[in-house]
Amino acid sequence: MIELTNIIKRYEQHEVLRGVSLTVADGEVCVLLGPSGGGKSTLLRTINGLETFDSGTIRVGDVSLPAAAGPERELALGKIRQRVGMVFQQFNLFPHRTVLQNVTEAPIHVLKQPKDSAIANARRLLDRVGMLDKQNARPGSLSGGQQQRVAIARTLAMSPEAVLFDEPTSALDPRTTAEVISVMTDLAAAGQRMIVVTHAMSFARTVAHQVHILHAGTIAESGPPQQIFDDPQTEITRDFLSEADN
Amino acid sequence: MEHSGLLPNMFRKLLLLPAFVSLFVGIMPNSLKAYDALDAIRKRGTLIWGADQEGGGPFVYPNPENPEALVGFEVELAELIAAHLGVKAEFAQGQWDKLPDIMERGDIDIVLNGYEWTPNRAERYGLSIPYYIYELQLLGKVADDSLTSWDDLLQPVDGRPRKVSVLGGTAAQDYVEQFGKGAIDLALFDGATDAMEATELGLSDVDANLQDLPVWTFYGEGYKRLRPIGPAVGRGYYVVMTRTADTDLLKAVNEAILKALQDGSLREIFTRYRMWNETQAARGLETNSNGGFVGSLISGAQTQQELAEAEANSFEKSSGWAVIWQRGGLLIDAAGMTVLLSVVAMPLAVLIGLLIALARLYGPAWLRIPAAFYVELVRGTPLVLQLYLIYFLLPKFLDMLFPGMGLSINAFSAAVLGLAINYSAYEAEIYRGGIKSIPKGQMEAAMSLGMSKSLALRRIIVPQATRLVLPPMTNDFIALFKDTAVCSVITVVELSKMYYIQARSAGAIVELGLLTAFLYLAMSYPLSLLTNRLEKNLSQERRS
Repeated sequence: MIELTNIIKRYEQHEVLRGVSLTVADGEVCVLLGPSGGGKSTLLRTINGLETFDSGTIRVGDVSLPAAAGPERELALGKIRQRVGMVFQQFNLFPHRTVLQNVTEAPIHVLKQPKDSAIANARRLLDRVGMLDKQNARPGSLSGGQQQRVAIARTLAMSPEAVLFDEPTSALDPRTTAEVISVMTDLAAAGQRMIVVTHAMSFARTVAHQVHILHAGTIAESGPPQQIFDDPQTEITRDFLSEADN
Repeated sequence: MEHSGLLPNMFRKLLLLPAFVSLFVGIMPNSLKAYDALDAIRKRGTLIWGADQEGGGPFVYPNPENPEALVGFEVELAELIAAHLGVKAEFAQGQWDKLPDIMERGDIDIVLNGYEWTPNRAERYGLSIPYYIYELQLLGKVADDSLTSWDDLLQPVDGRPRKVSVLGGTAAQDYVEQFGKGAIDLALFDGATDAMEATELGLSDVDANLQDLPVWTFYGEGYKRLRPIGPAVGRGYYVVMTRTADTDLLKAVNEAILKALQDGSLREIFTRYRMWNETQAARGLETNSNGGFVGSLISGAQTQQELAEAEANSFEKSSGWAVIWQRGGLLIDAAGMTVLLSVVAMPLAVLIGLLIALARLYGPAWLRIPAAFYVELVRGTPLVLQLYLIYFLLPKFLDMLFPGMGLSINAFSAAVLGLAINYSAYEAEIYRGGIKSIPKGQMEAAMSLGMSKSLALRRIIVPQATRLVLPPMTNDFIALFKDTAVCSVITVVELSKMYYIQARSAGAIVELGLLTAFLYLAMSYPLSLLTNRLEKNLSQERRS
């Protein structure tokens, strides 16, 4: 269970998040949609502490993340980040390591897994995302879609309870986007809980359990994809969907 | 006639050429031309005399009451000589051991700065009759009971030879070398007071100092922890130096000294500085036809046998390229010291630099501010000053913090530390730039995988930054190679210092200079190649 209650975040005077509440159940695929600047990425990044927030509560399982900086927040973040992985728009693979080393880095140095089992697990995950044949390549020699698939494997290597996807296909062309979407769809089918910020409507429509429309720092509408796409309840959702279609 | 406008123009330019050339010839070193120095001095109205006021009492030193003016017996002597020539004396500052070279270049007329008569110098310069007969005084530490005579110097302590500090390239150095015959180590200093200071502090394991007696008479009060050991030794002559060709000038200087000796003004000057003693009666006045002082009878050598040895060892003009075979080995050994200093100092500098950069970028405020201050302080002060402070001040600090522990720092460690600290400031800035240029997403990705900040820095950020900073750091390494030359001020004999020593004693400035330059190049060129390769690899990595 990931539970966000009344999250408020300000940049100087401007309120980016204006009291957002959100619950993501185990095994749920949650998609955040909405116009640019609506606060989707910011919300996602508050969950694993890459962004701070000013008030509200965040709970990940039995860990609650305080808003105030300090040792308590650091301690909570340490636990949350081992349970919640993240996939970035710009992939952020480590360029000085091979594909395989990218995947084994955290299991070996954070989880202190034995090297052999970390490597075996990494190969299994690379196989799952279709990147095993590139295990010894450097990230710099891969296409964007290939890099993003490696990044997904890197996150999965920590066996996360949930994965945060921050616009995972926005830096990709349509063909490689399809590769990554297909991997994400497989993951969802296998019961992986994920929170996805994306502009890929088809993914939201076919894979999501819950869709939230985030607009101007608040959730305008929440519901299953059938409701959001076929029977939108608010003006904001209708405007957003009609603009996204164009 | 279409070109009529052009041709005369060119001719006019050609006509200007000789005037142009003569402009340069006019400022060529005087020693290259047949030229009457004495005449030039009289026309100019000044006698330019070279000396080093750094640690120069009682010779030449800033007036304690008015530090902008100079005093010292040599100041008075210079005025006396100038007055005899009917001109004014004009002082020119030069580093002591470079004064003869400065004179050869023609920047000064005479060197008047406690230069001793030696057979070597007599071969290469005009040397006047002596203006003073000096002796050398051995100084030991008051607290050191194991050193009470010259013979004690030959006894090793703690299994190592005794170490005596001297002014490099002086009669004191020759004297210790001849007396010790390899059983005594030398520490070479550039300044007389530095040598006493180092002895008093026991820096670089220095046990004793062989000092010109006038210097000890003058400065002794300030060194309460030193005491004279044994009688004064190694009698020799302070003489005025001129270029060999300037025989008229040399003869005029001789006349001035002789006149001052006869009318008592010389005695007056030296009495003022408590330097007049019975030894002065043993003055030699014999000159050769060029006016050069004939001084071999007692200089340095005390007995007939020593005299014979001294003559056998005397200066051989190692002209031409043979000198490279004779002395090249010494230069190559000294190059080893240059390499050693660099390869120990540079990694240390990089390490300190990295820590400083991390402190500035990720440290808490109480660490960030001192780290920034450290960089500005170190970058804003010269290396030579830093070396001096480490060498002379650090032992005093250690003594203050841990009294009675006898903690000190030897010259090599001080040199390495100084170089490392100096370069660490630059490496810190390079590293800071390198770390800042790593995309923010790298740190975010590492943290999102559960890494702590320090683990992320160690595994992800610093390794990437290190690749970026390697080329500029290799460049700095080349610069550090050359900066090791500065370490000679704290007695470390590396390539440059050895070059100065050998070039001066062999009179082969050009030949050994070229060899030295070649050695520096041989050390730095591979590093340049390495930089190029690193840069190429990096740009390829970025492209892919």
